[in-house]
Amino acid sequence: MKRSWNGTIGRALLLGATIMAVAGEESRAENWPGWRGPDRNGVSRDTGVPLNWSADSNVAWKTPLPGSGISNPVIFDDRVFVTASDGKNLVNLHVICLERDTGRIRWHQRLWGTAPTRYHGNKSSMASPSPVTDGRHVWAFFGTGDVFCFESASGRMIWHRSLSGEYGVIENRFATSSSPLLYRDTILLQVDHYGDSYLVALDRKTGSNRWKVDRPGRWLSWSSPQLIRLKDGRHELIVCGSQRVESFDPGTGRALWTAGEMRRECIPTPLFIDGRLYVVSGPSGPSMRIRPGGTGDVTKTHVEWKNPRGSPFVPSAIVVGKRYYLVTDGGIATCLDTETGKPVWQKRFGGGFTASPVAAGDRIYWVNESGVTLVIRGGGDRYEELAKNTIGESVFASPAISQDRFFLRTTRHLVCLKGASGKSP
Amino acid sequence: MSWTRVPALGLFVGLTTGLLGPAAWAEEIGDDLASVARTGPGGRGSIAARKATDRLARNGLELLPRLLEAMDTDNIVAANWYRIVYEQITRRELARDPVPDFPVSFLKTYITNPKRQGRVRRLVLDLVERLEPGTTASLVPGLLADPEFRDDAVVAALARGDRAKQAGRNREAFGEYRKAFRAARNSGQIGTAADRLKAVGQEVSIVAHMGFVTNWFLLGPFDAPGTTGFELVLPPEKQVAAGVDLAATYTGKGGGRIKWTRHHSGDRFGQSNLNGAIAAVKEAVGYAYTEVISPRKQSVQIRCGADDNITIWLNGKRVLRRLQWLNGTRLDRFRTTVTLKKGRNRMLVKVCQGPQHKNPAVPNNWSLQLRICDAGGGGVGVTSGLPAATEKNTSVSRESVR
Repeated sequence: MKRSWNGTIGRALLLGATIMAVAGEESRAENWPGWRGPDRNGVSRDTGVPLNWSADSNVAWKTPLPGSGISNPVIFDDRVFVTASDGKNLVNLHVICLERDTGRIRWHQRLWGTAPTRYHGNKSSMASPSPVTDGRHVWAFFGTGDVFCFESASGRMIWHRSLSGEYGVIENRFATSSSPLLYRDTILLQVDHYGDSYLVALDRKTGSNRWKVDRPGRWLSWSSPQLIRLKDGRHELIVCGSQRVESFDPGTGRALWTAGEMRRECIPTPLFIDGRLYVVSGPSGPSMRIRPGGTGDVTKTHVEWKNPRGSPFVPSAIVVGKRYYLVTDGGIATCLDTETGKPVWQKRFGGGFTASPVAAGDRIYWVNESGVTLVIRGGGDRYEELAKNTIGESVFASPAISQDRFFLRTTRHLVCLKGASGKSP
Repeated sequence: MSWTRVPALGLFVGLTTGLLGPAAWAEEIGDDLASVARTGPGGRGSIAARKATDRLARNGLELLPRLLEAMDTDNIVAANWYRIVYEQITRRELARDPVPDFPVSFLKTYITNPKRQGRVRRLVLDLVERLEPGTTASLVPGLLADPEFRDDAVVAALARGDRAKQAGRNREAFGEYRKAFRAARNSGQIGTAADRLKAVGQEVSIVAHMGFVTNWFLLGPFDAPGTTGFELVLPPEKQVAAGVDLAATYTGKGGGRIKWTRHHSGDRFGQSNLNGAIAAVKEAVGYAYTEVISPRKQSVQIRCGADDNITIWLNGKRVLRRLQWLNGTRLDRFRTTVTLKKGRNRMLVKVCQGPQHKNPAVPNNWSLQLRICDAGGGGVGVTSGLPAATEKNTSVSRESVR
């Protein structure tokens, strides 16, 4: 049969264009594919994120979760992934996939961890690292030293690695919380502990090692690595560890540069905003802005400013506009100027903080351990509170934002809060 | 259906495996279980395991006995592949109406066999508890010597003791507390049982029960500016292969002569306060030396904690090295498995003292805690090989640093 442009082929092209338009529409809907979101800095480009809620208002759904975990929920298209651990010594590991729109559990894999950490605070568990997904697969890393890969649609396990079994128990008194990140066809992990610390790149499809670099002298950090892209297109893997921030070639693990001044234990994840790196380690350690891309020890040449004010031990920082925000574990918030590092304001939020802040537009969301979310306007010269919302349950996990929804993981539930109109007040 | 009746099982297997006869089915199952068993380091065997588990999960309850046999493995990667199959089968079968007959008798025997992997036995106990509520309460209190369930059994024994004591039956209470103490391996439970025994008039030694080393010779302080101590190689380390010379003297921090002194920890959990026993200094290195007598050649764990960091040599060979500063001494923070020879074993321990925390209010602890035990945390019958401590030759540390 002969086809004509204004016949079948034309209709096929029209259909194809329509599919592409829909796909384009969907791809604009922001996913939250891993720790701290799409750019690993806590910031979402969504515009309709809710401003107000309570335990019984603006809640789209609320699903009970097993065990405990401070990993943030991960959202990709219509699926939400969370991890948890429970049982004797927290040896039972859970990887759960929920439907984004209903909170219904689509699949739930129950596994064993190799070697649970003996000392863990009541805030943390073996499920402190956040999982990461590319939409087709989800990878989960646990404090027990186990890494798993699952098909995201079905939950079918693709591979499992026991890093504790292969390289020794992860000796870390609060359980490791370093979240994996994806780089090309690898998954990168930072394992800093009392024993032999290392970085490792695993093949996404098979779990086998692409490279592994030992980190002598680096002990006990909980920080997650960061991937940055320089102006010339090269990538660097940024790692905060005891006393130093270091850069590596993410393709080979080759060391590139290092800067000092970090505290002996690091937890916050470095930020990369507008070509500059922001790192902090506390308590009482400095925040630093670093110009990346050097070689050797760049402490004297690339650190553009440092300021010890308001440094947290656990929560990571966030940048909105030209302002850099921190909150201490005890609830003292500090705003510094990104260009100079000089203080803009300081404010007592109240309550304890474990969760890292997130932002959408000019709103910054700070969730304290009592489950109170303070929403402030970011980027300006003065402190401006927009809302204060109580969910009625304790919260230690960092929230997630995706497709205008706000996801709060409490100590008992995963809560999805409905998006608002999208207009700022 | 009785799981002990082989013909009935064969018929059931035949019915549930479609065209395969029992022998072919058994062979295919065996191949698939073996594929999973070959998984290992580096993601090895994942593709084959994936295919095998897909096939295995299509089976019903008839697979459980063989699956549970396979799950009883040290290979955690294989165990998790098997667990995925187990979860799928049990979930599917439990959802049936009516719920089919599970092989409960087999499962209970599996649970109470202490030689099998604890994690699998606990998983199976959860299943049986669903099938027969009350199983945990009836089974677990009797498992005081069981490595997996002993903590739960100790809780039950302590509760029985408390009830007896409350009713004024002190003799019975004593019996329950003593059972709890002997069985306990968890430090919290050991402390609780010791306290309860004391309350009914019985003193027990936590140090002996947990295998703490409390008799030492101490040497120090050596000078170690900043945090250099961990890497410094000082005379006792240089001499460790040839044997530590307890009669030697050295130049210590500040230029004075230092020598080995006898020390005994009187702490309930065997901790030694080096600030008191050596000197209250900063930026220094201290050494502890001991000899223990083992009744036989045996594999044991050395479990230890120190503030600030710790290095251990056993019979002249370095067996543990852990870097940390300002993290406090915590029970069993570090563990290593070593072999003790029969008779005398010599152990040298190095503990550094770092700079004062930048907050002067933070105490600058300097301490050591070390025990020799089996893999479950129980004592292994070693005794001190040092000369008896006397009031004249011994410093005694009575207070722990926590």
